[in-house]
Amino acid sequence: MFTRRRSIQELKKKASEIRKTVLDMCCEARTGHVTSAFSSVEILVALYHGGILRYDPANPTWEGRDRFIMSKGQASVLLYPVLVDVGYFPKEDINGFCKAEGKFGVHLQHSVPGAEITSGSLGMGFGIATGIAMAAKLNSELHMVYALLGDAECYEGSIWEAAMFASHNRLNNLVAIVDRNYLGVTNFTENMLEMEPVEEKWRSFGWNAASINGHSFKEILHVLEGVRSRKSSKPLVVIARTVKGKGVSFMCDKPLWHGIPPTQEKDVHSAKEEVKYLWDQSLY
Amino acid sequence: MKNISQRDAFWDRIYELAKEDEDIVLVVADMGAPALDKFRIYLSAQYIDVGIAEQQAVSLAAGLALSGKKPFVYAIAPFVALRCYEHTRVNLASMNLPVTLVGVGAGVSYDDSGPTHHAVDDLSVLRIFPNLRIHNITDSVMARALADISCKLDFPNYVRLDRKILPTIYDENTDFSVGLTVLVPSLDICIVATGNMVHRALEVSESLKKEGISAGVIDIYTLPINEDIFVDKVKDVAHIVTLEEHTLPGGLGSAVCEVLSDHQLLKPVKRIGMDFKTGYCYKYGGRDNIQLLYNLDKESIVKTIMYN
Repeated sequence: MFTRRRSIQELKKKASEIRKTVLDMCCEARTGHVTSAFSSVEILVALYHGGILRYDPANPTWEGRDRFIMSKGQASVLLYPVLVDVGYFPKEDINGFCKAEGKFGVHLQHSVPGAEITSGSLGMGFGIATGIAMAAKLNSELHMVYALLGDAECYEGSIWEAAMFASHNRLNNLVAIVDRNYLGVTNFTENMLEMEPVEEKWRSFGWNAASINGHSFKEILHVLEGVRSRKSSKPLVVIARTVKGKGVSFMCDKPLWHGIPPTQEKDVHSAKEEVKYLWDQSLY
Repeated sequence: MKNISQRDAFWDRIYELAKEDEDIVLVVADMGAPALDKFRIYLSAQYIDVGIAEQQAVSLAAGLALSGKKPFVYAIAPFVALRCYEHTRVNLASMNLPVTLVGVGAGVSYDDSGPTHHAVDDLSVLRIFPNLRIHNITDSVMARALADISCKLDFPNYVRLDRKILPTIYDENTDFSVGLTVLVPSLDICIVATGNMVHRALEVSESLKKEGISAGVIDIYTLPINEDIFVDKVKDVAHIVTLEEHTLPGGLGSAVCEVLSDHQLLKPVKRIGMDFKTGYCYKYGGRDNIQLLYNLDKESIVKTIMYN
């Protein structure tokens, strides 16, 4: 199945809707990685609504589907509403987030239709992605594999084992998107353990690399369109520069605003107001 | 059948099966073996070397399994069991994916290499994972049979091979799906052993017979223990001895005690294994010497059973 390509305006509207749902889910559950999700919203919306991924919600195990591997499993609270929005499972399931009767919690669970894997322990999903990409090569299947990594996830050594493997095996059906929000849990990456130059690191591991603004649909679509038919035999990494918590001014780009939603009444109110403002803006 | 190493028996059979089934894929962490050379040359598309990167080997295999492949991950036992431990937990056990981990070097069979290469704690830590089954191999006939069995499993599996060539005790028609075999029946004493120590148990049983003591032998080659069959076999046995070339906490002896306790079969149990109270084993001079130092030689075990 080929998804309809939407206009940038429509994508912006969709991103605002998704931000709103994520915030509501996390405020209701009083847990969840709001800021980790908000830095990746445009990336996921571009993949699922922007005509990049091929998928069929009516047939989640369709062999020809592109695989989306959420290696930064803490952002599953973003993936679930996206999967609901495109029709993988009913909206009501969202209401069960982290609840006794619910079907999923904070970290990604492979039993959810469209989720593909269980993740939450960092540095593992990407290795799985290389296995799926390798199997596609062995079986002469033409689908793509997209993996979303957190930048701080790239401190895990297994990421680089997988990166070395992918380039050696010419896995040009694999695209890694690094959500470069410059933050771990407690600190900025460059204060914790210097990560730059990120692009050069990936290039030296044999990858094609591109850096973009990860909140610009124009830039995301530009770098991913045509990726299926590109000539290079190398896998592609997209370093998506983002802002952790994008959309809520008092939460964004702040260490320690990790893994938690606003809980004080006034914080919940202002976060929802800001997200609603984005939504209102996106209508015009 | 010529007695060959468990490694060669296993991989030779996998090679035969892989020729007929292109979904069988080897994921190797820079390991060698004659059967693997054949793979490299004649089935190169089914042979993936990840380099010395066991974490990548396991996660890659999980991805291959998600795409319908039947991956076998091969490395030295402590590395395939421990280096990638959490990858096995999350990507194999929690997702219940049909990947076979194959470790060579059970117990101290890398006797010249020191503790980094000893697989003496892998059973303790891998047997706690839901969905995962362990096959601790006793002889090359069992190794070959496990190649066939592993290809048909739909859950994760750890095949643990000895590095040394051990005597063949099994008939080629044995049904290894049971998980345990009563090799010598007795209701007085039953030595429950695994891996290379099954051969030691048979020697001990012979020696005890000369002393007028009847000691049976059960080979448990599958963990978790097949409880119903095991309970049925030992319910009327007076004394149980467990024997393993492995540390005692969490090993075969612990597994046996758990089953007995859960079934209210309260009877004397003596666990014999490697005592690491003073630390890991930095001993050399061959496996026989290490066994002597840890009281796992025949005479020491006979004494332990007779006087304890």
